[in-house]
Amino acid sequence: MVDGGMRKLLTGNAAAAWGARMARVDYVPAFPITPQTEIIELLSDWFGDGTLRGKFVTLDSEHSMLTAAGAAAAAGVRVFTATSSQGLVYGLELLYTLAGWRVPLVLVNVSRGLSAPITLGPDHNDVLAARDTGFLQLHAETCQEVFDFILMAYRLAESPAVSVPVLVNLDGFQLSFTREAVELPSAEQAGRFLGPFQPLHPGFRHSRPVAQGVAVLDGATYSYFRYQLHRAVENALTEFPRVAAEFAETFGRSYSPLELYRADDAELILVMIGSYATKAKAAVDRWRAAGRRVGLARLRLVRPLPVAELRRALAGRRAVGVLDQNLAPGLGGILFQEVAGAVAGMANGPAVMRSFVGGLGGKDVSDDEFDHLLSTLEAARPEDPPADVELLMTQSEWLQVARSLTVAGKEGGDHAGSS
Amino acid sequence: MIRVRLHGRGGHGVKTAGRIVGSAAFHAGFHGQDAPVYGAERRGAAVASYAWIDRGPIRERGVIARPDLIVIADETLLADPASGVLAGAETATALFVNTDRVEALALPDSLRSRVIAADLTSRTLAALGRAAALSASLGAAAVRLLGAVPLDALLQAIRDELTAIGVAPTELGKNEQLARDVFALLQPLAFADTGKSLSLAAQSAPAASERTGGSMAQVGYEGVMRGTPSILSGGNSAARHTGAWRVQRPVIDPALCSRCGLCFVQCPDGVVSLDAEGYPVIDYDHCKGCLLCQRVCPVGAIHEERETRAW
Ligand code: SF4
Ligand code: SF4
Repeated sequence: MVDGGMRKLLTGNAAAAWGARMARVDYVPAFPITPQTEIIELLSDWFGDGTLRGKFVTLDSEHSMLTAAGAAAAAGVRVFTATSSQGLVYGLELLYTLAGWRVPLVLVNVSRGLSAPITLGPDHNDVLAARDTGFLQLHAETCQEVFDFILMAYRLAESPAVSVPVLVNLDGFQLSFTREAVELPSAEQAGRFLGPFQPLHPGFRHSRPVAQGVAVLDGATYSYFRYQLHRAVENALTEFPRVAAEFAETFGRSYSPLELYRADDAELILVMIGSYATKAKAAVDRWRAAGRRVGLARLRLVRPLPVAELRRALAGRRAVGVLDQNLAPGLGGILFQEVAGAVAGMANGPAVMRSFVGGLGGKDVSDDEFDHLLSTLEAARPEDPPADVELLMTQSEWLQVARSLTVAGKEGGDHAGSS
Repeated sequence: MIRVRLHGRGGHGVKTAGRIVGSAAFHAGFHGQDAPVYGAERRGAAVASYAWIDRGPIRERGVIARPDLIVIADETLLADPASGVLAGAETATALFVNTDRVEALALPDSLRSRVIAADLTSRTLAALGRAAALSASLGAAAVRLLGAVPLDALLQAIRDELTAIGVAPTELGKNEQLARDVFALLQPLAFADTGKSLSLAAQSAPAASERTGGSMAQVGYEGVMRGTPSILSGGNSAARHTGAWRVQRPVIDPALCSRCGLCFVQCPDGVVSLDAEGYPVIDYDHCKGCLLCQRVCPVGAIHEERETRAW
């Protein structure tokens, strides 16, 4: 069956499956986990009915799944796989290994908060635990971006200057189960953009014995290979605009590593990733309508971190707030640290920076919370004492939590909620 | 933007009804977005789905806290505060309830004037032979109330969405006819379409003049016993009446019962007890209606009855 171009209502999961379908992937090792399972179910249907040719294999765990994915990519076929949350961290060891093998596969992660307590709602602690593995990381805000990023991910992964695996992240529920209109190109268009897979590694042939993924026991050689990986990941900063330009030429949608929304003359800038940026844009619009100069900077690319773009975007701003949908115990927000690191030492860096943590485990970030965040930024002054990371939670949510704690038999907190 | 929130129980077709609303809006040329809300629920538990419709891109994600239209598939949910059916109802334009006894609904007076009621269950039962297959009728009710979306877009959405979940082609026509009937039955709500945005007449818009955010909680350290996910109060799951999830009710005929005790042993939820004479007694507050007891009863002493109120 040949796919013609069309505009369809798709969930983020379906958009991800369509991305793999349009990339004509050869091999999909799979293991189910909520909220990702719909992706592999769709792919399994398509391999089953002959729409996709190649192999769809169910494995016994994410650890085996990622091992199979890496081995297949090293053998020279185009590989796609997907997981979420506990599955990603269960396979974490292999993420480092696959990046070290420099195999160009694409892994979709559907974000979901990590246990304990076990939950199903999305946040970014799972995907950010993989930030130092050597995988590139692309973070989608919309179902369209999910699809588009998978095509772009294959181009980045397969580019000789990069040749590392790419993780495309979409938020559970807010994207995975949410349907919105997605433009699907024709198979011919997608094929033209991607081209056939041209493996860079020697593959495995008995006529030509090679060893891939070998042990290196001396530190200097180990350092050399690890540094090569670092440079490869960094090369994606140069490669991204090229791939994006070709993407825009082919499909008419253009992507930068850092999206700036109404930021030109903004005094206050909010930095974040993921699907809640849609709500942040609505908050920016509300504040703009009230005459306030606020804007949004959303990272599409988290690895490599587009440091130069961040520095340009945040230079000279009165205040910058980072909204982290993750929490690193003992540190605070992960992205806050990365953004603060990116602008450190700038002569004209942002005058004040504030760190907010919100939307953990799928908690809403309400209009009120965005307003509170922007108000806090507006009131912040460079001479203020250093502010701690702030957990965003409304008073009514806190009362609900307190009620649940009471039902669970937990009497008397040391601190009652206060506004 | 118009925000529609649909509530029902797992098995009612609320997810598909939400998709019908989203698809119908999409086919009518609007921007549509839809999403179901489910987690660890199973058949019979309270579930919800959302649909957003506008002329421009939808700038929302996740929960609909302030719905413009609430659609309730099962009136018994009104009695369950945990289902959140009425959350944000203060500013909703209308609440549609699938019921045949609107006067008896457990509703605050402030909302009563905004209730639109129709008995979709009877219509669905008559049209399809199954009372719980509500997706087409619920979707049709929601789309009709929205006003801006025409019938042909609704019918196309029903064909698409029911086909996608494997409904047989022979059943599609019946669902379409049911949708036509519901469409004809209800009157659209007043709406405004500026060509740039679409809205229902809001009951009372929240003040938007000065945005400083609502009051935020300050959460401090509270000690390990309180601050760890554990449940210290045993036995409180009995307070949750999971019997409301039941579609079929097992009924024991003592005249036939041989007191073998198999149903008592096999009930997966342990809700069958034995009375002083050894006869089994079902706790209907917690019987989930799986009918395993009926299957294991060696003398056929257990028959099933359709729950009238839960569905
Ligand atoms: S229907 Fe199921 S839950 Fe109810 S009494 Fe029978 S076995 Fe138990
Ligand atoms: S299984 Fe049937 S016969 Fe046996 S105790 Fe239960 S109802 Fe009576």
